[in-house]
Amino acid sequence: MSVKKKFKGLSDKAVAWLFIGPSVFLLLAINIYPLIYAIRMSFTNFYANKIGREPQFVGLKNYIKVLNKEAIWEKMQVTANFMFWTLLLQAVIGLGLALLLNRKFKGNELLTTLIVLPMMLSPAVVGVFWTYLYNPQVGLFNYVVNFFHDFGSFDMIGSSVLAPWSIVIVDTWMWTPFTMLICLAGLRSVPNYLYEAAEVDRASKWQQFIYITLPSVLPFLLLALLFRGIENFKMFDMVVELTSGGPGSATELASINLKREAFEKWKTGYSSAFAVILFVTIFGFGNVYVKVMNKIKER
Amino acid sequence: MKKIMILLFVSLFTFSANSNAKSITLGWAAWDPANALQELTKEFTAETGIDVNFEFVPWPNFADRMLNELNNKGKTFDLLIGDSQWIGAGAVYGHYVKLNDFFDKEGISMNDFSPATVYAYSTWPKGSENYYALPAMGDALAWAYRKDWFDRPELNSEFKKKHGYDLGVPANWNQLHDMCSFFQGREIDGQKRYGAAINTERGSEGITMGVTAAMYAWGMEYENPNKPYDMEGFFNSPQAVEAVEFYRKLYEDCAPPGHSDAYMVANLDAYKSGQVAFQMNWYAFWPGVSKEDSDGRVSGFFANPKQNVAAATLGGQGISVVKYSDKQDLALEYIKWFARPDVQQKWWDLGGYSCHNDVLNSPSFPTSTVYAQGFLDSMGIVKDFWQEPTFVELMLPMQEAIHDYVVNGKGTAKGALDKIIEEWVEVFEADGKL
Repeated sequence: MSVKKKFKGLSDKAVAWLFIGPSVFLLLAINIYPLIYAIRMSFTNFYANKIGREPQFVGLKNYIKVLNKEAIWEKMQVTANFMFWTLLLQAVIGLGLALLLNRKFKGNELLTTLIVLPMMLSPAVVGVFWTYLYNPQVGLFNYVVNFFHDFGSFDMIGSSVLAPWSIVIVDTWMWTPFTMLICLAGLRSVPNYLYEAAEVDRASKWQQFIYITLPSVLPFLLLALLFRGIENFKMFDMVVELTSGGPGSATELASINLKREAFEKWKTGYSSAFAVILFVTIFGFGNVYVKVMNKIKER
Repeated sequence: MKKIMILLFVSLFTFSANSNAKSITLGWAAWDPANALQELTKEFTAETGIDVNFEFVPWPNFADRMLNELNNKGKTFDLLIGDSQWIGAGAVYGHYVKLNDFFDKEGISMNDFSPATVYAYSTWPKGSENYYALPAMGDALAWAYRKDWFDRPELNSEFKKKHGYDLGVPANWNQLHDMCSFFQGREIDGQKRYGAAINTERGSEGITMGVTAAMYAWGMEYENPNKPYDMEGFFNSPQAVEAVEFYRKLYEDCAPPGHSDAYMVANLDAYKSGQVAFQMNWYAFWPGVSKEDSDGRVSGFFANPKQNVAAATLGGQGISVVKYSDKQDLALEYIKWFARPDVQQKWWDLGGYSCHNDVLNSPSFPTSTVYAQGFLDSMGIVKDFWQEPTFVELMLPMQEAIHDYVVNGKGTAKGALDKIIEEWVEVFEADGKL
């Protein structure tokens, strides 16, 4: 009633705009304007650090350069590998943990809290302390691995074969709890009567899982993977702290390369083109993914 | 109420008194010499009444932080002790104040400073008489070694039996490798030791600074001396290729496990914790190492060994006045004070590396510390990376390609150097130099 009085004289539409106006303004200022500006810059040879040099229009030159550069495709491949393995592992382990924690047992809450802890840490901090865990001389990780099987001295971060796995392991350790939480929410939303009916129909546990649990939890799992996919596509801080993109460029993800081109080499035009390509890629994949997800939901 | 009013009045008075005080801000990297400078600067404040605030940025973020500040025309810093490679960008993009008129007015002569440091830290274009900084901190890449292990008769005799000469300061890089590999995996006092902590860092400039120490010693030139920016056959000459291959061998045979992304602090830690017999590092760290070894029995120091020629990687910085500062007069006052010979002597005494001739040419200088002679030797043979305004663009491909070859073991040394030239040509073309 008091709100009505306060906004007396304003139409409902005006009040609605009053509420969403600031958000829309911020969205335009922080997201849309920079995006349009970046698209404009991507057609120029602009260098942000070269003061006084006016950007010149170069057409599609930057896009052609990005797409023809072998090194860029290497970074994209590194990113694709990283995304594939992290998403796969987080889906499998996350779902497994959710199934485990969906059961009632003593200490369930405490275990859930402990499992969730890693995702509450800062990615940069996680990157730094895993460099110590991976240390071949004093690192706990190497010690634990060698405890089960003696591989001798190995360097997770310094080897081009192991370094890509080192970032996959850390990301999986950190973000599996997120997938687990979303899946757990999905599992808890499945009505019990479905399982009771299945029991009456003499369905085995495996059949219950395949025909009730999995279809129910799948939309949730796909949603979690969508979030993780977007996040991992732009993964930066944890990997920079852990490997700096090395050895060589073995773990240099597209986002790390983009940062180096844009804010270290200051190739603003070129890096804008690269950023637009990355944006279109993730936007395209995201859209296809959402459509697939909706179809699965409709089933 | 009365008490509150008095408190408010006192607070306001204190605030206004502080805001009226003259103060400037100096930016530098966070390391031992910065603490020495902070100590030294207390005398400047006592003499002039000008407060100096310090902002020290950790090395891995130093270039990013400072160059972003300059590119954004930031007013955070009035004075900046910037890396030698920044001088080109500082001059060309107008970040630094040109100091010639000020030097003339105040009677500060660049002839009073070591020529190598004036060339490296102050001038742009290189070797011209346009000065954009006062040489502040001389530095070069050098080596420290475990003298106490070298002095053990049983180790020395074993080494001599194998290599035919005594353990000691290596005369060249081959001897350095012999000695490093001798200690690799060796058990001393019940602990496993390794050869050398060398620069392998990927993110900023570490591995480039390390590998160039070898490349310069092999006689590498960046470009044709008669045709600027013509790098083919110079930067990737057979000598340069051999040096890069040697650096990889040194890494594979002598570095401690896990030393694949290491620079200043990691090298220092590996050495101080007794893991390695040698460490590669900047002279700036030797006062700290030496301080913990008061009788000089544990550590010895030497300049970068020669191979085909005597050469060392240049470090160090000059002090510049930031063009965007509103307090340029106070900043210049600081430079005038810092250039004084008596202040320069105190700077050296506190652990800073003065570039002033009065300090360096003093008869007592070579024996003033165990590393002073090495510093003098090094400053006579230093070579620097490109100091072009585009130096970051030039540094990044070198970091990637060298790390890929040395640490990752990918490809060949020649392939890595060719790839770097390819990228550098692109940078120089975009900059209108080619």
